[in-house]
Amino acid sequence: MKKALVISLALLMALTFCACGSTESEKKQFRVGMECNYAPFNWTQMEESNDAIAISSGGYAGGYDVEIAKRIADALGMELVIVKTEWNGLIPALNSGKIDAIIAGMSPTAERKESVDFSDPYYKSELVIVVQKDGPYASATSLADFSGAKITAQLNTFHYTVIDQIPGVNKQTAMETFPDMIVALKSGKIDGYISERPGAVSAIAANSELAYIEFAEGSGFETSDEDVAISVAVKKGSTDLLNQINDALADIDQDTREQLMNDAVANQPVNEE
Amino acid sequence: MPQSFWGGVVFIAEKYSTLFLNGALNTLLLAIVGTVVGFLIGLVVAIVRTIPVQPTDSFVKRAGLKVLRGIFIAYIELFRSTPMMVQAMVIYYGVFSSVSPDYALYVGMFVISINTGAYMAEIVRGGVISVDSGQTEGAVSIGMTHWQTMTSVVLPQAIRNIMPSIGNEFVVNIKDSSVLSVISVAEVFFTAKSAAGTYMRFFEAFVIACVVYFVMTFTITRILLLLEKKMDGPKNYTIHGSQTTPDAEIRVNGGGRDK
Repeated sequence: MKKALVISLALLMALTFCACGSTESEKKQFRVGMECNYAPFNWTQMEESNDAIAISSGGYAGGYDVEIAKRIADALGMELVIVKTEWNGLIPALNSGKIDAIIAGMSPTAERKESVDFSDPYYKSELVIVVQKDGPYASATSLADFSGAKITAQLNTFHYTVIDQIPGVNKQTAMETFPDMIVALKSGKIDGYISERPGAVSAIAANSELAYIEFAEGSGFETSDEDVAISVAVKKGSTDLLNQINDALADIDQDTREQLMNDAVANQPVNEE
Repeated sequence: MPQSFWGGVVFIAEKYSTLFLNGALNTLLLAIVGTVVGFLIGLVVAIVRTIPVQPTDSFVKRAGLKVLRGIFIAYIELFRSTPMMVQAMVIYYGVFSSVSPDYALYVGMFVISINTGAYMAEIVRGGVISVDSGQTEGAVSIGMTHWQTMTSVVLPQAIRNIMPSIGNEFVVNIKDSSVLSVISVAEVFFTAKSAAGTYMRFFEAFVIACVVYFVMTFTITRILLLLEKKMDGPKNYTIHGSQTTPDAEIRVNGGGRDK
């Protein structure tokens, strides 16, 4: 008798749990991992302005990656959920199924391709050189103009290797972080550092005495797609999802992408008053 | 945003105030849960490890205790000899790989609790050893069981002795919970990284984190000192009072423990 009671109770509980499980929202979730601290690709802001998406751990996610994620989620007919994740945790989170995709300004390098699959690029950044606004290199237009200049770049990045393409450059020791290079540049220890354009725009927004030099096509650095492109990462073997993402990305043309990036650069929290 | 250093600090502190507050609450929660649960784990492990075994005891009791002690020692050694950051990665992305990222905070609590438990087990064992063996002998001689001896004689003294160490663990937990940022727990360090990357101002963001950590640890150490004072009881007290012969009264003035 007692046993029967216990079993029926257990059954009842199991049923209740099942019922809880089935009453989820109609729309399936598309969980996207990003750091939310890599402006202007992704950042954390406190207001819901510029159509930012709420993060469960607090604040709102905004930036170029978020805009791309929104468009992909729309194309998939799913509800976008931003999962704020530490950079080194992004790939483990993807492979353990905690998130469905990584849209975090991530370049499709050969090493990463070993453990995840990448979509077509959704942005290609160009390399620029950040200099002092009133310095001797402020009016440079080609790599040759930087002959003799003290140039550096971030440690362990391809930014540092492309410095060799500048003829007669005075290559300096690589530096750990961008703020380090900004300080070195402001104090005159270096004449310039290599950066991707969005990063340079952000650095200038926060430091008004700096400027960056863009190069016309053909007179700048030669780079490979693996370095300058950024792509959406999905779990290895999820071909269906990858195809759908590629279709969604194909619908976002080059002009729209530039516009989205310009908006992100203009709207990022650094520019707040 | 303002160009000056202090301007930047004030700007970020104002903008991110709710996130930093939320981060501080999560950090405190992790430290409190970690220290309390870790302490309970430590108590259980220490009590079991000090159960006396006589050759006359049944085989089941002896074998069971031996196995249990083996497990506890393996647990202590394993968790003391690997960094909490590595434990967090292994547990979050390995053992709990199917857990939703919304529960990162709970996984964080689990990690910090079992990590602290391993240290606490040794701290409590140290406390138990520090109580003179005459106390245990006295308790046993009046017929107390091991459990009674522990709960009414040894542990009350042992816990008072290890209070400074427990306080240390608490403070260490407040600061070390920052390594749980690797599994994306939104505590103070994780928040500071967000602020730094969002505003491109690293020094300013981490100065704020320093201040938040300092305020928390300093407040906690003061509270723990007060708690210790309370545990010591009053400085002046009467051991034996007598209404008829006042001379027979035994009074202690300036007793208790010196700091």
